[in-house]
Amino acid sequence: MSFDIISMILLWFGLYYIVSLSLNMEFGYAGIPNFGKALSVLVGAIAVGGILDRLLMLYFKINGDFITGSTYATSAINTIIASHPIVGIGILILAIILASILGLIVGAIFILPSAKLKEDYLGITLLAISEAVFLICTYNLNIIGGYYGISTPDILAFVSGEYRGWVFAGIVLIIAFLVFLFFERLLNTPFGRVLRAMRENENTVRAFGRNIMMLRIKTMAIGSAIGAIAGVLYSLYTVNIIANAFTRVDWTFFPFLMVLLGGKGNNKGVALGVLCYVVIKVLLDIYKYNIKYALNIPFEPVWLSYMLFGVLMLLILYYKPSGLIPEKPILTPPMKKKIAEIKQ
Amino acid sequence: MVIRMIKIKNLNAGYGKLQILFDINAKVEKGKITTVVGPNGSGKSTFLKTLFGLTKIYSGEIIFNNKNIAHVPPHQKARMKIAYLPQTNNVFADLTVEENLKIAGYVLDKDKVKERIEIALNIFPELKNILKRKAGTLSGGQRQFLAMGMALVRDAEVLMLDEPTAQLSPKLAEVIFGKIVEMRDEFGLTILLVEQNAKRALEISDNGYMFVSGKVAFEGTAEELLNHEKFKEYSLGITAL
Amino acid sequence: MIIEGAIIYSNLLVLLALGLTLTYITTNVPNFAQGSYAIVGSYVALTLLKLFGICPYLSLPVLFIVGAIVGLLTYLSLKPLIKRNASVEMLMIATLAIDLILLGVIGAYSEVLSQIVGSTQAKFVFANLDFSIFGFRGILFVSTLVVILLLFGLYLLLYKTKFGIALRASMENPSLAQTMGIDVEKTRLFSWILSGALAGVAGGLLPFMQEIVPATGDLIIISIFAASIVGGLRHISGALIGGYIIGISESLITYYLAMAFGAGFLVYGKVVSLIIMIATLLIAPYGITGVDWKKVRKRLFSQ
Repeated sequence: MSFDIISMILLWFGLYYIVSLSLNMEFGYAGIPNFGKALSVLVGAIAVGGILDRLLMLYFKINGDFITGSTYATSAINTIIASHPIVGIGILILAIILASILGLIVGAIFILPSAKLKEDYLGITLLAISEAVFLICTYNLNIIGGYYGISTPDILAFVSGEYRGWVFAGIVLIIAFLVFLFFERLLNTPFGRVLRAMRENENTVRAFGRNIMMLRIKTMAIGSAIGAIAGVLYSLYTVNIIANAFTRVDWTFFPFLMVLLGGKGNNKGVALGVLCYVVIKVLLDIYKYNIKYALNIPFEPVWLSYMLFGVLMLLILYYKPSGLIPEKPILTPPMKKKIAEIKQ
Repeated sequence: MVIRMIKIKNLNAGYGKLQILFDINAKVEKGKITTVVGPNGSGKSTFLKTLFGLTKIYSGEIIFNNKNIAHVPPHQKARMKIAYLPQTNNVFADLTVEENLKIAGYVLDKDKVKERIEIALNIFPELKNILKRKAGTLSGGQRQFLAMGMALVRDAEVLMLDEPTAQLSPKLAEVIFGKIVEMRDEFGLTILLVEQNAKRALEISDNGYMFVSGKVAFEGTAEELLNHEKFKEYSLGITAL
Repeated sequence: MIIEGAIIYSNLLVLLALGLTLTYITTNVPNFAQGSYAIVGSYVALTLLKLFGICPYLSLPVLFIVGAIVGLLTYLSLKPLIKRNASVEMLMIATLAIDLILLGVIGAYSEVLSQIVGSTQAKFVFANLDFSIFGFRGILFVSTLVVILLLFGLYLLLYKTKFGIALRASMENPSLAQTMGIDVEKTRLFSWILSGALAGVAGGLLPFMQEIVPATGDLIIISIFAASIVGGLRHISGALIGGYIIGISESLITYYLAMAFGAGFLVYGKVVSLIIMIATLLIAPYGITGVDWKKVRKRLFSQ
């Protein structure tokens, strides 16, 4: 039991770290108030449920309605994966590629209204777009099965049940680490610095001849592609997709909580923020009924967790607005040299 | 006998961490016009804002009627009979002229407001025909009349005016200066004036201060200032601006 | 009948959008918790009905007060951030946090109430309690009456009282209002209290119109923002105009879409309001009341 807790924590840490890293680039670095973060994760689910499942149905020549058809298609592919692990890995890579492309496109379109909007209007618009797509996906059963749900391929069909959680957590952590390396490289280039400059003062960046809109589009395209990867991993882990799972609270609010708790603009700080949140979340998930009966709470613990996390967010905003590990000044090689000179 | 209305002691102030005013010592005499002149960015507008409590005061005292009011919030200063007229946005554009005058008397009781509006309209008869118009639709001169009328309604003892003639034609500026003198002579108002149009402003003033880089460069009666060698140099510099 | 529904819905949106606009003007905070304010009201009305048998229409004054308290508490918890000049993004995140807290409280309360009453109260409607006159639903008259009363009251307050003129003055230019001796803090506090109170009343009426669950607030918040933005977040009258535009188009367009393409299209109401909102933002970022109509006329006639 206790071992499972650790694998759960690792898995959720990886998933949320991927989402939070992308949000940190958008919000922490570029200053875009992306209150529609959940959309990118949903895009990942669409890539798996809406595209990959349909491709599988075509491949296995399964007709009939989408929801039952995808059940047959996934069980067919699962039998193949069970004997050919390489197919499972192939499916994962295919899904990630599909999701990244879709994420790039959706992210680039998603941010277009910002051409004319300032922070608050932009944040509201992004939230509203994300929420509207969420509603459509929930109530229209033909996209990703809606509230009814559809099954997705089990890419680890060849691994026995007791180890599946661990192996999956390992895959997610490896991908999260790659994403971390990607962002560290990306944000330590002139691109990363210009994003921070844009957050502080758009006009200065304009004066240096950079196109603000192009910067925003790039940021959101990359951010959404990465967010979509998290959506893919989550959908493949749970082996099914229920559209209601991609809520604003879980995939927008909580990532904001983690980024702000850790320290926006600082990827290592964000890791700490994610870890804190995930440990609390997993423990609450697993022990919720123990807590309920021990404290004699007359309602579902999920409501209590909402109150707790809401209060935690307010406390962060009051007392630690720059997070546990605040953003550090950027030190480019010439600046490091200069500092060394001064020290001598 | 000279009665000091406001005395400023060792005042240091600014915006956030940006200090603008350095160790200012000054006094404003009752029933007189005191004018602060100085080049752009010398901190003269910030000085008025600071007296009214709209900036951050690091240290120093502002003594008004024997009380240190350095840390009294603006809305309470308004109740202490101190009126401040910002340079821009000094009327409520969405409100009618009449509503603007009424709101100016916010801290007074009803009958008093009526009485004060009468007085203001006597000094500024130009406002009588436009009472129902929205202030946003007025011309620059009308707007300035309204802003000064509002200051009169408030029954203040001290009136702080931030560049009341900015962006007005010379002819209109002359009218405004006339009204300022009228307010002093008719009601014995104490007036603290900040002006870009330094020479003309000092000509109607009793006392003057010259600010340079957030410090008092020199002070004296208006006449002394006008004849001061340094002032002549600066005023050439200012007119060149 | 569809028009009847559209008007009822619009009336409720006006109540909610008005509160949103009011607090945005006075404190510059886009309040994501506005929808949940209403649901707090809905559950209080449900409680009064189930425990004391009070008809929801009669409990509106209580809801007004409960809503006012929720609004007040929100403002008090935002105040440290406003004082620190926190950025608007941070304030928005704070209202999202408050919304989540409210959702937790409402959800928990709905289960507690279920235990007291002895049957599940997570989902409910009041439509079965409504009366009817000439074949029209009672809620049509009540919601219209509430909006008329509200507008009349607001008009009296804003144009005929000293406090109202001060309120308008501090909405337009808070620092100048301060120099006039107006305590701007008081007007901010007032706007949050009124905003909460209006939402509380809307919450008592909402269950006559649609099914309520604890998360309903998160759903209607999109329409509320759409209404406020389309009308213009800078003017109180914007909420009125925007409320009717969004309310009526959301109801009618969705209805005709459903007629044409089948009942599945009924769920797209929010998408309709979203599209109208985005279109407005792109054409006239400050909404209908923010458009300089004189300029538009000039441009039209000069061609």
